[in-house]
Amino acid sequence: MNCNKAKVLMSAALDGELTAQEEFELTRHLDDCPECRAYFQEAKKTKVIIKERIVRVKAPQNLVESIVRMTKITST
Amino acid sequence: MKEKKQILTAEEQLKQKEFQEEAVVHINALYNYALHLTMNPGDAQDLVQETYLKAYKFFNSFERGTNCKAWLFKILKNNYINKFRKNAREPGKVDYDLIKDFYHTIKDVQRDTTETDSDFFHSLLHEEVYQALQSLPEEFREVIQLCDIEGFTYEEIANMVESPIGTVRSRLYRGRKLLRAKLEDYAKNHGYNTESGE
Repeated sequence: MNCNKAKVLMSAALDGELTAQEEFELTRHLDDCPECRAYFQEAKKTKVIIKERIVRVKAPQNLVESIVRMTKITST
Repeated sequence: MKEKKQILTAEEQLKQKEFQEEAVVHINALYNYALHLTMNPGDAQDLVQETYLKAYKFFNSFERGTNCKAWLFKILKNNYINKFRKNAREPGKVDYDLIKDFYHTIKDVQRDTTETDSDFFHSLLHEEVYQALQSLPEEFREVIQLCDIEGFTYEEIANMVESPIGTVRSRLYRGRKLLRAKLEDYAKNHGYNTESGE
């Protein structure tokens, strides 16, 4: 496996979306390629930074209440 | 004064209960997704409202045991396309002033996240990470949001964006690569040497 293909697999590996065969091949490549091992560590950080740094807000209370109210109205 | 009482059937009561337990619990995630799509809290609220209205109407067609959050996201995305897409910004054109203003609007609202630090990214402002993500082409940004922020599987994302799983995988790889390059640019602006790690 070349490094370009390995990098594509790394992206899917971050999400636990590799097949068993792909996982085996990637692991074998990483065992032999320190550059790709380092790249994989950096790729993991990119995923983490999105989760850490993207602001998430709570839905406004009036929205929550209006939706709860909506479900209490008979739909028939 | 006589109060008008609504007598609900047992079936209707069960539907309400199940809907609240399975669907309404995802309201924060839906609202955040709507915000990212519309960049406008008012439009996001309307979108979420319409989504839940439609979801409740068709709740009997939802297959229990499958991912309700994914089902709701799909409805929301379809509503967004039907209602807002024609007025949305052109692909590839990023209005940074809009993003900056929008970010400042939402960051003062009650947060729904915990923060931790991570090495050179520590130098990055939340706003910069947000801008970097928002500046990506929509097909890349969307899959990163759905995967990294909302935690959907590739199969669920493929269904939502109506593309093969291979396409989702490719977009995630290319989107993350682009994103990392943008984040490194931002980090360099903070005087961080991304090669030496200093």
